[in-house]
Amino acid sequence: MSRLEALAQPAEAATNREFLRSVFASMLRARILENKLSSLYKAGKIVGGVYLGRGQEAVSATLGTALIQGRDFFAPLIRDQAGRTAFGEPLIDCTRTYLGSVEGPMRGRDGNIHRGRPGQGAPAMISHLGAQVSVVAGMLFARRLKGDLDGRVGATCIGDGATSTGSFHEGLNLAAVERLPLVVVVGNNQFAYSTPNDRQFACADLVERARGYGIGGFSVDGTDLLACASVLTEAVRRARAGMGPQMVVARLLRLSGHGEHDDASYVPGDVRDGHYGRDCVEVAMRQLVENHFATIEEIRGWQEKFAAEVQRAVAQAQQEPAPDPYREKWTALATRFPLANPTPSQPVFP
Amino acid sequence: MSITYIDAIREAQLTLLREDPRVFLYGQDIATFGGAFKATKGLAEMYPNRVFDCPISEDAMIGLAVGAAIEGMRPIVEMQFADFSSIAFNQIVNQAATHFYRTAVPVPITVRLPSGGTAGSGPFHSQSMEGIYAQYPGLIVLTPASVSDAYHMLIDAVGLNDPVIYCEHKFLYRWLKAKTIHNDHLPIGQARIVRTGKHATVVAYSAMVHEAVRAADRLHHDGWEIEVVDLRSVKPLDIDTVLASVARTGRLLAVGEAFPWGGVTAEVVARVAGEGFHLLDAPPQRLNARDTPVPYHPQLWAAHRPTPESICEALRKLLAF
Amino acid sequence: MPTVPILMPQLGESIAEATVIRLGIAVGDAVRADQEIIEVETNKAVMGVTTLCDGVIAEIKAKEGVSYSVGTTLGLLDVTEEEVARTGVDTLESVEQKRAQAAESLPRTQAEANLHFALDADDAYEEAPAVVPSVKGLPVPTGTMGAHYISPRMRARMDDLGLREADISAVAGTGAGGRVTVEDLECFLDYLEAWPSTQASPMRLSVADAMRRSWTRPLATVGLPVLLERVLAHRRDHTPKPGLTLYMLRAFALALAENPATAGYLIGDKIVHPRAFDIGVAVQIEDGVLVPVVRQVDQKPLRELIAEYDDLVDRARRRRVTEDDCRGGIATVTNFGTFGLTMGTPIPLPNETLILGIGAGVKKPVWSSEAEVFLPATTAEMFLTFDHRVIDGGGAGVLLTRVSRLLQQPELL
Repeated sequence: MSRLEALAQPAEAATNREFLRSVFASMLRARILENKLSSLYKAGKIVGGVYLGRGQEAVSATLGTALIQGRDFFAPLIRDQAGRTAFGEPLIDCTRTYLGSVEGPMRGRDGNIHRGRPGQGAPAMISHLGAQVSVVAGMLFARRLKGDLDGRVGATCIGDGATSTGSFHEGLNLAAVERLPLVVVVGNNQFAYSTPNDRQFACADLVERARGYGIGGFSVDGTDLLACASVLTEAVRRARAGMGPQMVVARLLRLSGHGEHDDASYVPGDVRDGHYGRDCVEVAMRQLVENHFATIEEIRGWQEKFAAEVQRAVAQAQQEPAPDPYREKWTALATRFPLANPTPSQPVFP
Repeated sequence: MSITYIDAIREAQLTLLREDPRVFLYGQDIATFGGAFKATKGLAEMYPNRVFDCPISEDAMIGLAVGAAIEGMRPIVEMQFADFSSIAFNQIVNQAATHFYRTAVPVPITVRLPSGGTAGSGPFHSQSMEGIYAQYPGLIVLTPASVSDAYHMLIDAVGLNDPVIYCEHKFLYRWLKAKTIHNDHLPIGQARIVRTGKHATVVAYSAMVHEAVRAADRLHHDGWEIEVVDLRSVKPLDIDTVLASVARTGRLLAVGEAFPWGGVTAEVVARVAGEGFHLLDAPPQRLNARDTPVPYHPQLWAAHRPTPESICEALRKLLAF
Repeated sequence: MPTVPILMPQLGESIAEATVIRLGIAVGDAVRADQEIIEVETNKAVMGVTTLCDGVIAEIKAKEGVSYSVGTTLGLLDVTEEEVARTGVDTLESVEQKRAQAAESLPRTQAEANLHFALDADDAYEEAPAVVPSVKGLPVPTGTMGAHYISPRMRARMDDLGLREADISAVAGTGAGGRVTVEDLECFLDYLEAWPSTQASPMRLSVADAMRRSWTRPLATVGLPVLLERVLAHRRDHTPKPGLTLYMLRAFALALAENPATAGYLIGDKIVHPRAFDIGVAVQIEDGVLVPVVRQVDQKPLRELIAEYDDLVDRARRRRVTEDDCRGGIATVTNFGTFGLTMGTPIPLPNETLILGIGAGVKKPVWSSEAEVFLPATTAEMFLTFDHRVIDGGGAGVLLTRVSRLLQQPELL
């Protein structure tokens, strides 16, 4: 058992100093990184869009920390910077992808949150929601066929809106039929872009669906780090123990727009000011300090350290070359066909 | 003893299961039942942990295959009918097809599409989807027309490091028989000249190759020698072989069973017009199914798709130009 | 009593045949509608063949253990008229009748439908009546019929060989619509191999190109006789002597200047008018023609033009004119009378609308209305070839008559 694996035992997760400090560090790193991304976007450095996980760091980072790097699979979605960081994604992967560096994992061919390292347990999301559920199921299925599933878990995150897709249903049902160790975390941030829950689903709580699929279901306050720690580690433990897919519904509020182009003016004031409108990073900080897991001074130190790390990652990515359309191979196939040109002949670029 | 087209597909899967531990089969009713067309008959008994029935979830079937391929497997997914792959369209064209380009991690999945019409199958069990998939970068689209090609191309498909859409024609399943599977197969990406001629070239694929050969037989009585090219794979498209044939004949008719708007035949005509304009004695022509859903009644169905009669007629017009 | 056939059904997609594994009936058995009477096995499943109506088994054609293609008659059932009416089944007779009708009205689609049930495909495809293809295909425009149509393939081969349409005018086409095919061309070229040939000079090729380009237009020629006595008299008294052609040049320029649109050049929907009346003069040289241009002929009296004209003609004969010397003409004058010819239809340069030609002067009796006798006079035939898109016979006639008149007053030129 590795160090973090030992830390991720659910019974003690909510009281485990090292686990909680590790989760918080990822939350804080993600928040600082995302603030920087927002600023780069507003300065015109980033094209396309910037999508933040502000308000969802506690859930995401707890999941990422509860998973075991190098063994488990994690398919993050749009608001999982904290989870990605906790699962070991280097900051530079993020800044390179956003800034289009040719050195990044997507080499300028895809951007922003559409990144990953699929060969290393971290599939890269596509924009079509719900599609990653069956992909993670397939990764686990492969390991089972190879006789190499033992103790391995696959996790993916999704929003309340994506639970309305056919793909989500198909994937989760299939994982349940195959009884795969899959953890699906639904971050119910109350708005799918601008559409509120009452226009998205008609059940009282999304967790009720777990019963219909015949899988484990959990509900948790996503703004409460300690609650997240105990619930998510338990869900992961059950999946790992061979109890089939687990679904966790985290109640929270997106503390940003859908993307940085969106001011989220459709979120009513009372919802903003309500319980789920509180900032999970501040809550977590308070919880850490009150329980003597960390001091204010320590946290200030981390803040400075992470800010420096983020700055370095941004600076490095900015200095790296952009992809060169003249050198680009312009083929989407891994196979080379010596006898046939797979793509229609094109005039020479541009 | 003869072997049918679908026997060849089953044989290929058996060979793959036997020789490649990475291969598994995933699809609806394919395990104990052996598949709607019996393409996997008996395979689940021989390889019980590698042939799986799955829920009616075409989207998730492809998603699972992509995930498994990322983890080093070589899944073969059977769509019960090509028509139903429209449910999996997103996973095929957005997940599988973009994956290697985006991440440099290949997803070698093979999707078997029982394609094309048979009498009485109607609008939702008769479609030819090759043109749609060929339109998307990152996919290889195969359309075997012979028993031997059905066998070898499926084996080749699983060996490729890209997602392969393997379009097998339902009409050929039991209708097409051969004495044996030949070993002189061509590599993927190379077309085959199945009949030589000098007056016009018919480019076809899948079941239409046989209809084109029949049309050529008939015109032979009138003294016309028609060359028939079997594309074998519509993507990659072996335009060199097509151009070489057109260089000999000066006339082109591309025949496909898919709907007429765009598609493989349009691509062939566009490529020949663009790259071989100087080879043409007449405007390049195409013949496809009609622009309606595939009808149910055998008489309507038979007049919906290209037939030897309509191919002959189109060729006569082309030859008279 | 009507007979109803028991047919091998299509038991599933793509099923072409099935094997009879058990016959549950014997001849003489009474059967009920919807009764399973024959057990058959497809590649997919074991299933029962049912009857369509009540009846008595009249004949069993099928044998156990034998495979039959879909649509084969497995047996026959004797059925009462009432039962036929009640169930609406097809009897042998009505099936035959329907087939006969179908053969008349829709023979093709019937055959098509049958093909895909039958194993022996060739038999099913024997008949070949006319058919409307599902895509209408190639309308052959009338303009593309005949030997003058050149396909892209033919054009490419001709370009390879450096040939033009005119070069293949001798080739009889054997292709569709009488077209000349690449094969025809190759045969023709092979045939020419047996004939002596020489390389055409660059000058020859250049003239050929100009004439071919010009010939793409509808050219027409008009002519009239012109009296040369006064010009010849004027010329005799002059030193240096102006050439006869120079008189024409000057007269032509003056006539055109009076009505510049006549020399206009048609491009699309526009007539491009002359900017200056610069007129070319055709000079025959060895293996070709050069056309140096005399500038602003309308602006200078004849005597001032002599030196310029003589110089240009002299240099042309020695092939010493420059490209600039030959550029910018709006019409041309040619004197083919110098070759002893009396008649001709000259072709204007491709960038000009008009060419004025004159034949050799001939002594002819000309009626004198003053003396009321025929008098000998030197006359020549003068011709104007014009682009009929720009002017018509009337306009050309007016122009030609005007030139003729001007030539009768050489002292004014």
